Amino acid sequence: MANLLLEIEEQIAGAKTTARKENVGVIREIGDGVARIDGLSDAMLNEMIDLGHGVTGLALNLDETEVGVVILGDYTQLEEGDEVRATGRLLQVPVGKGLLGRVVNTLGEPLDGKGPVQSDVAYPVEKLAPGIIRRSPVKQPLQTGIMPIDAMIPIGRGQRELIIGDRSTGKTTICIDTIINQARLNKAAEVAGDKDFRPIYCIYVAIGQKQSSIARLITVLEEAGAMPYTIIVDSSASDSATNQYLAPFAGAAMGEWFMDNGMDALIVFDDLSKHAVAYRQVSLVLKRPSGREAYPGDVFYLHSRLLERAARVGEKYGNGSLTAMPIIETQAGDVSAYIPTNVISITDGQIYLETDLFYQGVRPAISVGLSVSRVGSEAQLKAMKQVAGQLKGDLAQFRELAAFAQFGSELDAKTQAQIDRGKRIVEVFKQAQYSPIPVEVQVALLWAVQNGDFDAVPVERTKEFQSKLTEFLSLRKAELLQKIANEKTISEPLASELKAAIDAFKQTWK
Amino acid sequence: MLKSTREIKREAKHLFRLCFVNGSLDEDRVRSVLRGILGSKRRGSLPLAGQFQRLVSLDRISHTAKVESAVPLSQDLQANVQASLVQAYGPETNTSFADDPTLIGGMRIRVGSDLYDGSIKAGLAALENSF
Repeated sequence: MANLLLEIEEQIAGAKTTARKENVGVIREIGDGVARIDGLSDAMLNEMIDLGHGVTGLALNLDETEVGVVILGDYTQLEEGDEVRATGRLLQVPVGKGLLGRVVNTLGEPLDGKGPVQSDVAYPVEKLAPGIIRRSPVKQPLQTGIMPIDAMIPIGRGQRELIIGDRSTGKTTICIDTIINQARLNKAAEVAGDKDFRPIYCIYVAIGQKQSSIARLITVLEEAGAMPYTIIVDSSASDSATNQYLAPFAGAAMGEWFMDNGMDALIVFDDLSKHAVAYRQVSLVLKRPSGREAYPGDVFYLHSRLLERAARVGEKYGNGSLTAMPIIETQAGDVSAYIPTNVISITDGQIYLETDLFYQGVRPAISVGLSVSRVGSEAQLKAMKQVAGQLKGDLAQFRELAAFAQFGSELDAKTQAQIDRGKRIVEVFKQAQYSPIPVEVQVALLWAVQNGDFDAVPVERTKEFQSKLTEFLSLRKAELLQKIANEKTISEPLASELKAAIDAFKQTWK
Repeated sequence: MLKSTREIKREAKHLFRLCFVNGSLDEDRVRSVLRGILGSKRRGSLPLAGQFQRLVSLDRISHTAKVESAVPLSQDLQANVQASLVQAYGPETNTSFADDPTLIGGMRIRVGSDLYDGSIKAGLAALENSF
């Protein structure tokens, strides 16, 4: 009680202080979520403006005679002639572990009805990315649990890997699978008491999506037990364009806190196409000059400054990382459109999803030829490198030969064998959604493929063989899988042990 | 030919700059420019005059001090406040005084976009915000 009285006295004493100088202005025009203010001569770019009635705005246009302010929140109570004031503060959001398991809006306010967010730290939404001195090369793997990605397009912690494809090709599913896999790994390490394990916390930023899609996604994450390691920043289609434009920056600030505190985080921006559209809307109502496809001239800078915030920092600076998985939706497979080419050039690689493959039943519908990871191979496990080194080449050859074989000409035995191997690889890489595969199982399966253990299996029974083999290895040879996970390389003795195990399984399989 | 808003703004700014003599706005020049704009009778002269008026009014606002107090200020105090404002914002500053009982006590001075609020009302609002 004594403390409370002291606090009240201090605050009253503070309120008694003499007049201080404030910078004020008057609303001249308001509409479309934008206010034009006369005055505010000392306003700073991106400064929060107090518009009265508990409404805040963000100064985005500083003109000679007026300031263009985008309004965050409900502006129906604001009127022309109202006095507004500069706050001297930049837009900030709460950050920290207290946000894990929560669904928040762009300003970090809870949307899940679970009470206030527990956080005593706030980060500015716009923050400079770590410089070259603080950065360190991407070397540690980030296991997605999706076999074709972990084998052929590996992602490292601190990388920016774009997920690109047409609508309904499984872009979000890849990211959700990755989040679920992180939760699985985090939980397993917690149970095993592994102190060397570095958990990955996930942030999912929904931009301009349907509320129903977000609700479904939350249910999936809750059912998979991934919510305790995940923050969801929700700026749905019903939110204002301003909130949608700011949402990924708010999410990046939340991710940066983990990076700055020596932890690893993964952020999914779903999706940056809608983000660019929201920014275009904000820019047009601010009467900024428009360029190609009516996007403003700084739309490249918008995405580059956002994605530059994903990094891995050196050991001297805490050894944390922020991995980014931005999503881009293409129209009719056109990767050469404005926003896709921008984001492709910014990121460290892309996973391209094809509609044709999706409807052929190849899911995840990853186009191996067009997908690439520019830095991830450095981060790939040695065991995975050993078994997956040739896969991309084998698959590319298969596609070429399969196209050739369509003409129905006679094929020599070697070509036929390559086509048969390719068909089996494609089958092995098919994977159901929300069921990530542990990396040691992936290594064992790919080792079996490389060593021809799948060759005798009819193509249509490959999946059945794969699932039975996985079951056999998980239940009967768990210690072998554990050895692969621990040693992270396939040594001679481990290879012979693996061979013996697979041979034993093949004898029982009918 | 109809001019774009940007061209009108640019021209108004140019004319506005011509109205300055020794760094301050010359009223005679303002009147003469306005007569010229309206007398030309060319297309776009009205929007140009409107934009010109806006620039002049913004300049006037930046040199106008509005002093509000809960009770009328004494002549001495008014002179004192006026002298301080002239010292801070230059000799062109026009000061007006008004009463506003809702301030409860203290004084509120606004010059252009600078606001000095020493009223009890502002103090209470700050206290409310701090809670």
